[in-house]
Amino acid sequence: MSNKSVWTSIPFWRRSAAWATGVASILLILLTFDTMGQISMGTDADLQKGITKRVPAPTVINYHIDYKMSEKRGHEVPVIGKKEPLFGKELSPKDAAAMLHLGKLTSQAKNCMNCHTLLGNGAYYAPDLTKAWLDPKWEQMIAMTGSKTKEEAMVKFLMNPQNYPTHERRMPNLKITEKEAKALVAFLKHMSSIDTNGFPRNFSKTVEQFKQGGTNAH
Amino acid sequence: MLTSIKSNKLQYESQKVGMMYFRVAIVLFGAQLLMGLIAAIQFIYPDFLYGIFDFSVARMVHINALVVWMLYAMIGSVYIMLPDETGQEAVGIGLGKLGFWVLTAAVAVVVLVYIFIQIGSGSETTIWLINEGREYIEAPRWADIGIVVVVLIFYYNVFFTYIKGEKTGIMTVMVANLLALAGLYLAGMFFTDNISIDQYWWWWVIHLWVEATWEVFVGTLAAYGLLKIIDAKREIVEMWLWIEVLMLFGSGILGLGHHYFWIGTPEYWWEIGALFSALEPVPLVAMFVHVLYDWGKEQGAKGDKPAINNGPAMAWIVTNAFGNFLGAGIWGFFHTLPQVNIYTHGSQFTAAHGHLAFFGAYATILIGMMYFGVQKAYGLERLKATFNSKMAIFLITFGVLGMTVALTIAGYEQVLVERAELGGGWDAFFTAQALPWMKQAMGWRLVMGVVTFVGFVYLLLDLLTIAKKQQN
Amino acid sequence: MIEPFTDIVPSIWGTLNQGPLTLTIVLHTLIVLPMFWIYKQEKKKLENS
Repeated sequence: MSNKSVWTSIPFWRRSAAWATGVASILLILLTFDTMGQISMGTDADLQKGITKRVPAPTVINYHIDYKMSEKRGHEVPVIGKKEPLFGKELSPKDAAAMLHLGKLTSQAKNCMNCHTLLGNGAYYAPDLTKAWLDPKWEQMIAMTGSKTKEEAMVKFLMNPQNYPTHERRMPNLKITEKEAKALVAFLKHMSSIDTNGFPRNFSKTVEQFKQGGTNAH
Repeated sequence: MLTSIKSNKLQYESQKVGMMYFRVAIVLFGAQLLMGLIAAIQFIYPDFLYGIFDFSVARMVHINALVVWMLYAMIGSVYIMLPDETGQEAVGIGLGKLGFWVLTAAVAVVVLVYIFIQIGSGSETTIWLINEGREYIEAPRWADIGIVVVVLIFYYNVFFTYIKGEKTGIMTVMVANLLALAGLYLAGMFFTDNISIDQYWWWWVIHLWVEATWEVFVGTLAAYGLLKIIDAKREIVEMWLWIEVLMLFGSGILGLGHHYFWIGTPEYWWEIGALFSALEPVPLVAMFVHVLYDWGKEQGAKGDKPAINNGPAMAWIVTNAFGNFLGAGIWGFFHTLPQVNIYTHGSQFTAAHGHLAFFGAYATILIGMMYFGVQKAYGLERLKATFNSKMAIFLITFGVLGMTVALTIAGYEQVLVERAELGGGWDAFFTAQALPWMKQAMGWRLVMGVVTFVGFVYLLLDLLTIAKKQQN
Repeated sequence: MIEPFTDIVPSIWGTLNQGPLTLTIVLHTLIVLPMFWIYKQEKKKLENS
């Protein structure tokens, strides 16, 4: 007769470990299927019918994007408004997708993530780019770069950031071509339309403050 | 350690290959620290190497050297453990040796391209040949494929030796875990236009590595280490190991959700991620208790003979028990709840946690395994800590702890000012970077980084000389 | 009694997420409950050996 307890029996712990690992893995896989469905890119038809998707279609770059508090969700959410073509030209779904593709490819080829954060992930040397498209700073940059529109300022900045320093820590010149710069702007505009469950928090509050002429910074 | 190439008392080829992996690992560790110093200097003097070797390059090499040195040390540890646990030479070890050289050549090319070419044009060619631009897995696609091939060879060595030889509990966990660890790398090998999907799968590689499979790996190393170094009983260490696996995978697999709060994924991840990852520190407490309790129990157990036959290795294993719990467990827990994380996501606080976690959970025990390897390579019954050993462990640990505290303070200020108050935009970011707490913290971080580096020099010296000196 | 759904796309996981802890309790129960059965089996094995 054995005096051993189950609590010190290796088979008990081994089987429990196998079970827990198996179930957790299966749950993760089921959750992944659900999440994939929810974060796949929407279609142009979704945008036209006003159907909200977490990750909108590339043609969202043809629309005005905002970021406002939602009482229902309890945090800020992207708001897609009226038509507002990028660089003055409304793009077909195919062309918008191509531009987004080049933009994302460029963001990786130029290693943006090793200074900046995208959706909060990356390096912490430079600002987060999730809502860069909506940043009130571009008002200043329009004047600094001698541009007429925000997107023009963004392109000029990306092509020669060393010429427009806003701090002693400067962005280096990454030999971004004009075509790549425009694609990056499309990528940034698209990224700002993704529903991030309210990250970054208070961004819209401070946009308002900024527009009224000031921040709380000293 | 280098001289052990000649005075090799290792009976198994597998263990010789293990030592080869350790040698490259320690060199890459040094490279990681040097790159870290450059990046730390740039936080304070932003013009340092501006336009020549920018922060993005220094940081990329810093984190890649980190991951690669740790993977090398992990592979090395397995090659050393394998014949000992299974009771026979590794199957196909000749191929394994070739794999080592191919991998090391590939790593060298990748690093040289990182340093001298750095970036490319917005095209598939860049992704395939130069830089994939995704944190930690920047290695170009050609290198990814090379890594997969070499890891397959490594796994072939491990699996078939396990099948042929004795199947201990430790090796069973190791073999199963390594399959998952290696397989997960594949999840990062693709390009998508959708950044949410991109980051969803990216986290399968990173989280399920460092907060699941790598932690289980550490559990197996600690079990093996206690067996060899303090003569702990196999039934006890293996029981603990299964308990740890239960808790690590039970919490870590769904704990992956704590990276899905803000990347575009559904809100139900808030709860799943928060409440499973909140449990991730529990197995680390178990590992902590296990190591220290077993150590305590073995004291005086052998009468006159010393309880510990490898002083430095045991010291690093104990440091691992503390560091894993503190860096991964406590610092991780601080920012794992979404109510906190919405403010700390992507801040210096993240860096603070990252530094202490990688050091406490992985660097410590892998360095311990290097000392174990050195002892075996010289066939020494006992390895005693030297002045260099003590300087190394003290300075490196103190340095990393110091860096972590500095970054925590920087992160705290950043969260208050840039995030909570100013909403996280362009101006908000730089305003927070310019304030005194941030600036001073970055200064202290650099100082502590230098302390860590001095400790590393002692470590390198020690690993090169300790066994030779005690060879009598 | 069931809270209105606030997330964008309805899903079973979102529905289980009724308030603090509900989703977690369901998932943890799924993982832990069968361990009682494993315990009983192992106990029987030990008592019979």
